[in-house]
Amino acid sequence: MKISLNWLKEYIDLTDIDVEEIVSKLTMSGLEVESVENQIEMFKNFIVGFVEEKEKHPNADKLSLCVVNNGTEKLKVVCGAPNVAAGQKVVFAQIGAVVPNSGMKISKAKIRGAESNGMLCSESELGLSEDHSGIIVLDQSIKEGTSVSEALHLNDVLFEIGVTPNRADALSHIGVARDLAAIFQRELKLPKVSIPKSEKNINDFASIEIIDTENCPRYSAKVLLNVEIKESPDWLKRRLKAIGLRPINNIVDITNFVLHEVGQPLHAFDLDKLAKQKIVVKKAAADSLFTTLDAKERKLNENVLMICDGEKPVAVAGVMGGENSEVTSSTKNILIESAYFNPTSVRKTSKYLGLSTDAAYRFERGTDPSSTVYAAERAAQLMAELSGGEVVNGFIDVYPNRISEKEITLRFHQVERVLGYTVPNENIKNILASLGFEIKNVSGDSITVSTPTFRPDVEREIDLIEEIARINNYDTIPTISKIAIPISEKIDESAFVDDLRTIATGLGFNEILSIPMITEKAADIFGKPVGLLNPQGSEMGYLRTSLLASALPVVEKNINVGEKNIKLFEIGKVFLKVNDDLFTFSDFVEEERFLFLLTGKISEKEWYTGERDFDFYDLKSFVNECFQKKTLDNLLNDSYYHNGNKIFDYFFTKSFGTTVLGSGGKVKKEVLKQFGIQQDVFCFEGSVEVLKSITPKGRAFTGLLRFPKVMKDFAFIFEKDIPVENVASFIKKKGSGILKAVHPFDVFEHASIGETKKSVAFNLSYFDAERTLTDEEVDKDFQSLIEIVKKEFKAVLRGK
Amino acid sequence: MLTKIQTLNTEFLQAIENIKDQKQLEDLRIVYLSRNGSIASLFEELKNVPKEEKPLLGKELNRLRNLAEEKFAEKKSEFEKLLTKKSQQIDLTLPGRKVELGHKHLLTQTLDEIKSIFKGLGFSIFEGPELESDYYNFEALNFPADHPARDMQDTFFVNKNFLLRTHTSPVQVRLMEKLQPPLRAIMPGKVYRNEAISSRSHCMFHQVEGLCVDTDITFAELKGTLVAFTKQFYGKDLNYRFRPSFFPFTEPSAEMDITCFLCKGKGCRVCKHSGWLEILGCGMVDPNVFDYAKYDNEKYTGYAFGMGIERTAMLKYGITDIRTFFENDVRFLKQF
Ligand SMILES: [Zn+2]
Repeated sequence: MKISLNWLKEYIDLTDIDVEEIVSKLTMSGLEVESVENQIEMFKNFIVGFVEEKEKHPNADKLSLCVVNNGTEKLKVVCGAPNVAAGQKVVFAQIGAVVPNSGMKISKAKIRGAESNGMLCSESELGLSEDHSGIIVLDQSIKEGTSVSEALHLNDVLFEIGVTPNRADALSHIGVARDLAAIFQRELKLPKVSIPKSEKNINDFASIEIIDTENCPRYSAKVLLNVEIKESPDWLKRRLKAIGLRPINNIVDITNFVLHEVGQPLHAFDLDKLAKQKIVVKKAAADSLFTTLDAKERKLNENVLMICDGEKPVAVAGVMGGENSEVTSSTKNILIESAYFNPTSVRKTSKYLGLSTDAAYRFERGTDPSSTVYAAERAAQLMAELSGGEVVNGFIDVYPNRISEKEITLRFHQVERVLGYTVPNENIKNILASLGFEIKNVSGDSITVSTPTFRPDVEREIDLIEEIARINNYDTIPTISKIAIPISEKIDESAFVDDLRTIATGLGFNEILSIPMITEKAADIFGKPVGLLNPQGSEMGYLRTSLLASALPVVEKNINVGEKNIKLFEIGKVFLKVNDDLFTFSDFVEEERFLFLLTGKISEKEWYTGERDFDFYDLKSFVNECFQKKTLDNLLNDSYYHNGNKIFDYFFTKSFGTTVLGSGGKVKKEVLKQFGIQQDVFCFEGSVEVLKSITPKGRAFTGLLRFPKVMKDFAFIFEKDIPVENVASFIKKKGSGILKAVHPFDVFEHASIGETKKSVAFNLSYFDAERTLTDEEVDKDFQSLIEIVKKEFKAVLRGK
Repeated sequence: MLTKIQTLNTEFLQAIENIKDQKQLEDLRIVYLSRNGSIASLFEELKNVPKEEKPLLGKELNRLRNLAEEKFAEKKSEFEKLLTKKSQQIDLTLPGRKVELGHKHLLTQTLDEIKSIFKGLGFSIFEGPELESDYYNFEALNFPADHPARDMQDTFFVNKNFLLRTHTSPVQVRLMEKLQPPLRAIMPGKVYRNEAISSRSHCMFHQVEGLCVDTDITFAELKGTLVAFTKQFYGKDLNYRFRPSFFPFTEPSAEMDITCFLCKGKGCRVCKHSGWLEILGCGMVDPNVFDYAKYDNEKYTGYAFGMGIERTAMLKYGITDIRTFFENDVRFLKQF
């Protein structure tokens, strides 16, 4: 919202307070000044010049060579405007001036060979309007050398203020002045309204009926007769232009002026266009059509509140007037609408129509229901002054749902309890009074005030405490340097995954954070996805059902930039539908997952090794190493699926009892193709919750082995299709108690041992925690195992 | 004769010290110790000396020959050792075998730093769901239905009941439902806003929420705690200010600004020429929120705060495009 300092000064005396202090005090009391535009500084090097001579530029058709008198000297200036002529008084940007609309700094230049010492400006170049058809031609009476700030009254300071949604009261110049009055403890001066008496009675000219009293608690109106529609005077145009509004005509300009002065949106109807000269406030008919002032036809629904005349709708209540009742150059008689509409209703309408106006912006935040008559009379007075019209005696004011002022009691000790320091009672009283609160009662320990209706945000004791804190400035609240902390146990719910991250990075994986919104196609591969009602395009319409779905686009991007060999991990949420419609939290599952992903080469060509691609066994060992750190790994068991599933060519799962922790393997080419990936990808995805649930809370030390281990090796030739793991676990099971581990360490396949055969060597480790083993007992077990294995797997012992 | 022996002795010792390689050593050996060498010729001369001088000169000459032989052997083995060493020597300049540590995402690292500071200040850490209900995300945080305050946060809806949380504040409500005061906790996590993706804003980002409730929590403590955090995180020397603002779930509400550390407060493009950077929103917990949580407003007060992580990391590390975080280019990940 733009606020003009010159305009503010009509309501508060700001003598002796510089702009910087106003800016900082406003910001520090809750009206954040986002930017400041100081016109005097902006137009520092712009002065009034007199064009003494003008001739054509010898080398350019559209340029003129001028001699401009700046009051002290005559300067040569090249000008491109078609309307420049000798004898004109013009706006002359001197060397050093910065042109407001472009930021260009004027310097001495040669233009097509001709010297130029400045520039003659158009309204557009000064940022005053869009008009760039020609330079500004000033009144002859203005002396050359006069500053443009003075000549064009460009001596204002404009503040861009960010008003938070709770501060509806501050959306006007008087609203901002009221805060300043409280901050600087100066008087707020409201414009006095006095209207010449008329013999005519308003009830003879118009009538008002509110049918929907819930959404229109108050509707006030004034009537003017015989107005003359014309251009507004300079002072009014200046006020509106300063805050970025385009002047239209005296009547419309006055409604805008009062809106930005008081904060009450007004609408001026052409009274003669209102059928039966009647206003009826009611809901629109479903699917009816209505053309608003901006000449757009809009489709209404039955929740839209409308202003109607005796026959038809004439305005969308609180949002925008209609074309059919608009003030035009031929308008003679005016009805000024000044109403209070239900904020929610206006908000819904404005959203439904996609139409945001200055009026709607204020109504939906809550205007002051008590100021409707004041604002209407203020406008009527100005209209009478500027249009020569006659203000009919009295006003119509229909107020079926009275909104009354609320009384609030503030206990003084509560201020200290919340803010942490003592505010003197007198200071509390002064602040509240200057903000417009009426002091009803003050006792030793409390103060009771009545809240003005322009502060719908102030309803409770805490709201008054905030008013005191912000006007006194938060800087006055101490910043304490000691706090008392309970010594109770501290919880860290993120510690588990943080530890998982540390393990993953220790294993060389880089962490990614991918966006969980994915395409429907990607989401469908991995499960039943939750869709978004309002996604940013179809690319991001669904929530991921697997981390892999959002990680594959990351893989693709990396491959595209040449990062082809990567180890990635992610820890994040996936979202799975349990039931088709989501009514409660049990209709879907939000699950935290972890993903390990490998693609490309584990090693490239190096002096010590050749290149090798990542494979399934890399994945398996990373995953095992990670879980070994997290859990006692013998709790988990693996299952292998050679035939794969929807996602994997082949994969394995890790489970704890019957609970599956996760699965991983080689991702199918068809899946990768959808993401534009041509190289193999291996990944493992699992549930953080399950992992957490099987992670032992504590750990016990296992005594270190004090007796020697005996290692034995043997190798067998058996059928290729017998999994090595089956043989190893068989050996372990059949061995005596002193056989503690069986580890396959060599696998060999060659025609020489038979096309369908393989040779596998196992390393057996024997030990006992309590004693040294004898050679005999180890050998006895070892020999018996050879025989059992031979028999069980039709195996042949190799070598020896 | 004795002088000759002594001179030869001195000459030899000098010569052998200056030997650089085995070839020179062999040449020197021939000069001194060969059959026609200088020592051998002295033995020849010995035959002609008077008898009574022979024993002494013979002894001296023998001593010289032994010394020379010893020195040659010593030098020779020295050179041989050097030679074997060279043939067995490895090239230390070859690159080491490749081992790579992984990297936590820069946002994780930033969060870790924030968490560690708050842990030091006695805070616990809690988490909450990202797919939230309207109740937790808005209603219980005192956002009335159809209120302009809801426009402050563009929301991704799943349906009229569920949405992607727009802030981490709903975790506050969940925490208060679960636990009784005293509470002192931060709640980090992902949040989502339906904003156009550009270099300055994204549809997903991270926040850290804070909540502290006890019998004697004041705005002064809120200021003290956040200033302590800010100084640890951003540096001791910066200036700060608390500016009134509005959040439905806090009253009074504030935004905390710190001196723009790019321009040191002089004003630049990043701080929109104000010299200040807004780093977090905060305030005293609104009594309505305590009502929803069934906490006694007459007994407890509390404060809450929330801050975005991406902007912080962008400023701290000079990242100009927020999308960099979520593109996850490995070259970026490995930089931190
Ligand atoms: Zn700056």
